[in-house]
Amino acid sequence: MRIPFPILLVVVVAIFFDARADTLSFDFRDPRGVSQVAFRLDAPLESINGTAKEIAGTVTVDPNNLSTAKGKIVVTTKSLVVPNPIMRMHLLSKDWLNVRSNPEISFEIKKVGRVMQKGADASEVEVTGAFTLNRVTKEIVTKADVIYLPGKLGETTNNKVHGDLLVVRSNFKIRRSDFGIRPGEFLDKVADEIALSVNVIGSAPRKI
Amino acid sequence: MKAQAGSNKVVVLLRALAALSAVAIVACWISLGAHMGWSQTRIPVQRTDAVTATTFTDYEERFLPGLDFLVAGLLGSAAIFALPLVIPKSKGSNRR
Repeated sequence: MRIPFPILLVVVVAIFFDARADTLSFDFRDPRGVSQVAFRLDAPLESINGTAKEIAGTVTVDPNNLSTAKGKIVVTTKSLVVPNPIMRMHLLSKDWLNVRSNPEISFEIKKVGRVMQKGADASEVEVTGAFTLNRVTKEIVTKADVIYLPGKLGETTNNKVHGDLLVVRSNFKIRRSDFGIRPGEFLDKVADEIALSVNVIGSAPRKI
Repeated sequence: MKAQAGSNKVVVLLRALAALSAVAIVACWISLGAHMGWSQTRIPVQRTDAVTATTFTDYEERFLPGLDFLVAGLLGSAAIFALPLVIPKSKGSNRR
């Protein structure tokens, strides 16, 4: 049986638009200040714990097929905060993060590998990405928990904007020496290894 | 004799001031939390977002004195205590 061309065209177009409709663009700016990247370094008196809150970036993904994820998450370097003001001044100075020359820290998704379903809307994924810090880019492979919350955006905006949320959580470690941050120096005062804990929330508004 | 008595009075006053400031600094450090790390001007507080169940760090803007505050304060008190040793003695006391 031959299918008439116009019907075939309509079917192909419908499938194409249906597939596109599943791909959402999540904006990771979070005016509520819940999204953050926490960092921890060992140091003699007490560990250095801090957070970065100015997060931006966009990730496009089909929530039903996380391996389609593409995008970049960007952290503003000057938003890094530690409880001690002198320590923060040193951290942002040209001797360490050099915030004037390196205003951003970023992670660009290159590939999403294995996806493991953990619940109805929760999955664990293996992400390969380009992590850029201090103008040095390194490939990083890490696991991330991804939680898709359809229709939950309204609860964070007093129902002014409706849409979906995408929560991404990941923990991984980097070495400051790999990124040219005083390699081999002050190892007795500030550890080489930096533990990062990423908790970011993206929102995809929808028209009702 | 008068000069020596005056000088002794200053020594006693300085030492009392040193002791008082040391006690005040220790009391301040203990009453504000006896924090064993560095001093903090913003205190991390854990909060949870009800919508996404995400735990995040928020900051309270207040001063939490740490060991650096305690050590610097006690060194300052010690310096006040030791001040009479480095100040040249008055003529009256030199004669003795």
